[in-house]
Amino acid sequence: MGVSNRELVQGTLEMLVLKTLALESMHGYGIALRIEQVSDGVFRVNPGSLLPALSRMERAGRIRGEWRSTENNRRAKYYTLTAAGRKALEQECRQWGRQIAAIERILEA
Amino acid sequence: MLRSLVAGVRALIHPSERNAQIEEELRSFFAASVEDKLRCGVSLENAEREARAEIGSREMVRHNVWSAGWESAVDSFVRELCVTARQLRKSPGFAVTAILTLAFGIGATTAIFSIMEGVLLRPLPFLQPRQLVALSDVLVNTKTGHAPGEIGVTAREILAYERYSHAFVGLGGYQRSRYALTGAGAPEEINAARLTASVFPVLGVSPLMGRVFTQQEDSDRAQVTMISYAMWRSRFSGDPKILGRKIELDRKTYEIIGVMPRGFEFPLVQGQLNQNELWTPMSFTTDELSTGNSASWCCAMVGRLRPGVTPEKAQQDAERVAQEIMRDYPAFMSSMHISAIVRPLAEDSVAQARPLIHTLFLAVVVVLFIACANLAGLLLVRVIRRRREIAVRLALGASGAAVLRQSLVETLALSLAGGLIGLGLATLAIRIGISFLPETLPRVESIRLDWHVVLFALGTALLTGLLCGMVPALAAARTGMNETLKDGGRTGSAGSAHARLRSALVVAEIAVALMLLIASGLLLLSFEKLREVHLGFRTDHMLTANYNLPQEQYATQAAIDAFNNALLSKLRALPGVQAVGITSVLPATGNIRNSSFLADGYVEPKGASMNLAWPSQVMGNYIQAAGIPLLQGREFTPADDAKAPLVAIVNEKLAQHFWPGQDPLGKRLRWGLPETPTLWITVVGVIGDIKQMSADAPTQYQIYQPGSQYLASFGKLVPPGSLSAQGGSIVLRTALPPDSMMESLRATVRSIDPQLPLTKVHSMDEALSQTVAPHRFNAVLITSFAAAAVLLALMGIYSVIAFSAAMRTQEMAIRMALGAQRVDIVRLVLISGAKLAVIGVLIGLAGAAAASSLVRSFLFQVSPFDPGVLALAAIAVLALALLASALPARRAAAVDPIEALRGE
Repeated sequence: MGVSNRELVQGTLEMLVLKTLALESMHGYGIALRIEQVSDGVFRVNPGSLLPALSRMERAGRIRGEWRSTENNRRAKYYTLTAAGRKALEQECRQWGRQIAAIERILEA
Repeated sequence: MLRSLVAGVRALIHPSERNAQIEEELRSFFAASVEDKLRCGVSLENAEREARAEIGSREMVRHNVWSAGWESAVDSFVRELCVTARQLRKSPGFAVTAILTLAFGIGATTAIFSIMEGVLLRPLPFLQPRQLVALSDVLVNTKTGHAPGEIGVTAREILAYERYSHAFVGLGGYQRSRYALTGAGAPEEINAARLTASVFPVLGVSPLMGRVFTQQEDSDRAQVTMISYAMWRSRFSGDPKILGRKIELDRKTYEIIGVMPRGFEFPLVQGQLNQNELWTPMSFTTDELSTGNSASWCCAMVGRLRPGVTPEKAQQDAERVAQEIMRDYPAFMSSMHISAIVRPLAEDSVAQARPLIHTLFLAVVVVLFIACANLAGLLLVRVIRRRREIAVRLALGASGAAVLRQSLVETLALSLAGGLIGLGLATLAIRIGISFLPETLPRVESIRLDWHVVLFALGTALLTGLLCGMVPALAAARTGMNETLKDGGRTGSAGSAHARLRSALVVAEIAVALMLLIASGLLLLSFEKLREVHLGFRTDHMLTANYNLPQEQYATQAAIDAFNNALLSKLRALPGVQAVGITSVLPATGNIRNSSFLADGYVEPKGASMNLAWPSQVMGNYIQAAGIPLLQGREFTPADDAKAPLVAIVNEKLAQHFWPGQDPLGKRLRWGLPETPTLWITVVGVIGDIKQMSADAPTQYQIYQPGSQYLASFGKLVPPGSLSAQGGSIVLRTALPPDSMMESLRATVRSIDPQLPLTKVHSMDEALSQTVAPHRFNAVLITSFAAAAVLLALMGIYSVIAFSAAMRTQEMAIRMALGAQRVDIVRLVLISGAKLAVIGVLIGLAGAAAASSLVRSFLFQVSPFDPGVLALAAIAVLALALLASALPARRAAAVDPIEALRGE
């Protein structure tokens, strides 16, 4: 199990979290799980970086957290995307697209 | 933004709440993870273990989440402050020394400078002072084109400038004046100013109570006056019904129509303390406006520029008027040439005080520098002591930034604490200082900390802290932590670069302290020299007093002469009086008088400007009473009256310059210029030179005349009915101590005229000490700065030597173990102190030489390189430095070698 290939690409965590939340509101573990599943296990997000990122984005008003009970009647903090978060997501996606395209051009050259 | 701020503040106030939240989220994350794994069929035990492994260190997660908010920076800063406070508490000696050094430096400098600023360098208390200008004539010598300087304006010119210039919104003339004040307490002579009605509107100042006089009152010669706030409080105890009250000025009744506000001063001379107590309308007399007074530059002018007009433009405008004025000159002034000059009023009034400000500010900088150098030295010592601690912290994983921040927090906290305590001290010192100043002083209430100096001082202190705080981090980066740790507890050889830096600081401190000490020594010496100057007359056993006969009561020359004669004969009859005289002007008390004159038979060299002499009209046996030696000829006698041939006595300098190698007796001279129709006066005596103005001014030509002949010597220029000898200074040569004669002098004057005030009744020695008061003030000021500087420098040298001795305890112990005597150890430490001191003294001497031109302007008959002062100051500094090293030397020698060696 190589560690390096399961780490996130630098600086993409927030974008991925926002994208994940764009579908529905989720709690922390749910987000981590979803990222792992959707990426077919390529990326794994550990709470050591996820929780600070969530806290940072909540502060910035991109997501809103609220305590709710889960389907199993546990309490968990569910995060919902806000309008500002949606805008931020669009912007980051655009930027990411530009960067990817640029990197590809360099690699193919 | 706002949300982040609110959340951050909440997290700071309730850190436990924030922590609980993070903890709960972590728990829920853990639970969800376990649940998920259970669902995939993992056993509970394994699921929990995997989930724990996934999360890793909970502490780490919590820390990361906490660091995501801005409040964490604040939190760690607070934590660092706490650490700093704890560390400083552990070494209170260091903290107290550092803080007090800085506090003393900042406190002393800001307090002294603020008081000076408040008392001497008052800002102009007028509306929009930038628009205010001073207008004056300069007298241009037609032969040389040289303009000797501003001479003011004449009465006639004031009217002309007011009427014909266009560059000013308003323009007014004024003249300093003195009045004998009666009808309000004891008779006294007071400072006052005569103003044209336009001066108050020009200044833009309105009275506190009542009104200012009108143009109509000025031209009608209405006897009205405005009084100062200080006078209203002191003489009328703040009477609210003061308006309309009558007072007597020179025995004429004036009505008080206004009280000026507290800060009002006009004319204002910065750097001087004489204030005017009242202001009266100028109301020129016909005599003042007569042709005969066309050459009497009695007054000054102040104006407010029209918007958009520069002083240069205004000067061109005024110059045009000046040309007009010259066209109307009477024949006897045809060779005179004037030119107008317009300068900003602020520049005009601050010009005199400028060297004083420069010197003071330099002294402030020097003392501050020494305080900061001391602080730097102490901080560096601390850095060296903490190298090990820093190495341990780095080894445990602290980042370089964290170490730097910690170190900066400590040094800045010290600087700031020192600075704030210093400000407190300064505030306190100003409070105390003000209580020693007379209450009537204008603007005393407005003396406060000068913010320029405060900011400068605080800034310097903070900068020192910043620089010294950087050093440990840099040092840590340079010397690897491994070496430091391997070094073990042995600190002996460590930080030689720091040691050099600290030594350099101490050397610099000693150097500048020595420079200040030398400056103060030179000033004190020059002050002594000033007091020892032979003034040309005998100042001991000499009692003087001024009087001025009011014109109303003494309207005829006969009445005046009767008073003077009665005064002279009654005083002469007093027991203990050896000689009595009256002079129009007391010598060596700062009176400037200049009159142009011509000497018969003297051919002027080409291009020479006119000859100026110091005129003095005397009565009685003045020359004998003043103790001026009679070199040739005779004194005046009662026979030299108005009807007798005109006679004069000249000083030796005049006689030798104009009639070299000839007998001056019988030679003639007259006042004025070649075309002036004045009469020839015959010289009947030659007396010794005296210091006519002040001890440090050069001796001028001096011409003495009998008081009764003065007017006659001007011939036709003097309108009939003019009066002379209405006042002057009485001079008594006494056999008894002069102070004991004061009452009999007063009683004698009262017996002739009970209403006449005598002013400035004091012995000549006392009068002289007043004239040297500014010199004394400068000397005291610089000396106090120098004392502070030397004290701080000694603290510096002490701390450096004490520290390096403490660092070398082990070395000393080994030396002693190997057989060195305690004396050797003492010598070793003393020599290390002496080395620094010697280098510092040498640099200080060089610095003093470099600064000599600055000091020279304050010195009198003392060279800035006076060997005595230089040697004494250098020796004093050396001796004190050795003394400061002696304490640590003795401590080092008292070390028990066995203890010291075992201790490490």
